[in-house]
Amino acid sequence: MEHQLSESGGAIVIAFSGDIDLQTSPEARKALLGLVGKGQPILVDLSGVGYIDSSGVASLVECLQSVKKSGQKLALVSVSDGALRVLQLARLDKVFVICGTVEEGVQSVT
Amino acid sequence: MNGIELTGGAQMGVAPEAVHSHLELLAEMGRDFATSQDLEQTLSRAVERITDYVDAEAGALFMLSPSGELLRCDACIGPVEITGLEIAADQGIVGFCVQKDAGRIVRDVSKDPDFNAAVDDETGFRTRSILCAPMSVKGERIGAIELINKRGGDGLFDDDDLHLLQSLSVSAGLAVLNARMAAELVEQERVKRELELAAEIQRSLLPEEKETDFPVKGVNLPARVVSGDFYDFYPLDDGRVAFTLGDVSGKGMNAALMMAKTASLLRCLGKAIKEPGRLLTLVNAEVAETATRGMFVTLVHGVYDPESGHVRLANAGHEPPLFVTRDGAFQSIEAEAPPLGISPALLDEDGFPETELHLDGGRLFVFTDGVTEGYVDEGIELGVDGLKDMIRRAAGGDVQALLNEVRQKIGGAGRALRDDVTLLAIDDAGQSHSADVSARVAEPGATDMPGEKIFQLRVTAKANRLRLIRNAVRETAEFCGFSEADTGDIVLAVDEACQNVIRHAYGHEGEGDIAIEFRHRPDAMILLVRDFADPVDISKIKPRDLDDLRPGGLGTHLIGEVMDEVDFLPPPIDGGNLLRLVKKIGD
Repeated sequence: MEHQLSESGGAIVIAFSGDIDLQTSPEARKALLGLVGKGQPILVDLSGVGYIDSSGVASLVECLQSVKKSGQKLALVSVSDGALRVLQLARLDKVFVICGTVEEGVQSVT
Repeated sequence: MNGIELTGGAQMGVAPEAVHSHLELLAEMGRDFATSQDLEQTLSRAVERITDYVDAEAGALFMLSPSGELLRCDACIGPVEITGLEIAADQGIVGFCVQKDAGRIVRDVSKDPDFNAAVDDETGFRTRSILCAPMSVKGERIGAIELINKRGGDGLFDDDDLHLLQSLSVSAGLAVLNARMAAELVEQERVKRELELAAEIQRSLLPEEKETDFPVKGVNLPARVVSGDFYDFYPLDDGRVAFTLGDVSGKGMNAALMMAKTASLLRCLGKAIKEPGRLLTLVNAEVAETATRGMFVTLVHGVYDPESGHVRLANAGHEPPLFVTRDGAFQSIEAEAPPLGISPALLDEDGFPETELHLDGGRLFVFTDGVTEGYVDEGIELGVDGLKDMIRRAAGGDVQALLNEVRQKIGGAGRALRDDVTLLAIDDAGQSHSADVSARVAEPGATDMPGEKIFQLRVTAKANRLRLIRNAVRETAEFCGFSEADTGDIVLAVDEACQNVIRHAYGHEGEGDIAIEFRHRPDAMILLVRDFADPVDISKIKPRDLDDLRPGGLGTHLIGEVMDEVDFLPPPIDGGNLLRLVKKIGD
């Protein structure tokens, strides 16, 4: 698993690629929590994530909770089918703001 | 004895008054020696008095060193202080007397070739005449007393003086010998007491006697006070019983200490680690790391399930245990691994190889070579065949009585034991096993898990193996004809199940293995996920409440969402957990 940071329309975009599983989720969690408290809205790009498990989802949930506390906004963008399936199974598809593209994400969080 | 010599002296024409005085002096000194608390001081006083009595210029007492090579002056009286002076044990007049064990009068040292003038040269003292008598008891040489330069009379020592000195030397020698023997006795007593304390502690390391119907029993009979053998058994929290029997190389105190360490390690770790092979791997590493060079331990450790009669054991270089079936057939369980302590990394991460047995009403005997090599008659060993005979004859009888009989046979006739005798028995005869348990032992899951086994894998339970597992599951699911979406769900379910094993069953990474079996039925795919950890309390595994956003518990929920059936099967006979996942084809 890897991640890349960029900016788009005033939002930080963190794009993950590869599998987020028990082995890699601590790294994803650390990267996500590193963005909390920076004031900017956060877009998590999951287009390159072929597989995400419960520990990866838990990291996203933890980040979402921290972001809410710090008054930031967070949205998931370009979620792959596999990742979306897991979010749906966990009934989290209604908890997260999920957008089709980065542009839509920017509109929803700014 | 002294009295007789003195009588002899009297017959040689000594005045009655002198005899009276001699006797008094000797009696007094004898009393002194007998009651002395401080022998050195008493000897010193004796030299002083005899010197004074005989009216010599100087007197000295020499002791022979333990090696017999040196004579050391331990007490002296006279114008020159020579206490501490050491001379070769065959040097001078004193050396001569000690070597020949005979007294001597030298009236003029300048005419005697044995005289050693070196001491005079060094001290400035001038020796003219010498009287010397050896201290010896029954030929054991202890030293000598020497008097120098008689003052009174004609200035020459006579036979009378020699007899007196000889009498005194004999009692002095006896006193020295008695004191030495007393000191030795005290030391021996101390060592004996320490050994007895050590033996007491050792006995406390052996298991307490359990109720008579407890299926595991043992006996130990040390060849010396302490033992290098040990046995132990204790119930595990899952109802099984762990048992150990070991033999440390060598006998005596060093073996006993090593035994104490190994037994303690096994008892402590054995309650947490219930896989004998893995336990021995750990203990081996510890023993090899810290053992005294060249010491090792042969050992059998196992776990017995009284419910099923199943035994799982590992043998580290030990005498093969004997398994006797209900029908009287014998099977010996050969060691498949070297003794503990030889090398820390002798074996790979799979640990010491294990043997599995189903006792099925039979008995298992584990013993040290002190049993089979023990003499039952002059020069005749019991031998494995002899032991088998005894086991056969005791079939159906009380197993504790059999153990006692073996101990009695080898150690009972008052013969010195050649080696420690230790024997442990597991008696499965009194245990009732349900039939379905036996069936599971014969072929796990044979009845309720039909379908063709198409693939299985076993990997260490580590997070970095999950990707490997997912790929294997994906390929297998596709092979079985599942759609892309269903394949993704199956992959997720197995991955989550394996995560639970790593995080919850083992609690740590790499603590054990995960084994996955894929079975293919026309209507479904069955996945069996097995671990080798302690049984998990199934009632505590619940899917999480979806309103609760806390991490964790989610995995179990996901598995339930995507699979058609999820259930824990009864724990496998040799421990661990078995989860069955079923996904129907073409839903």
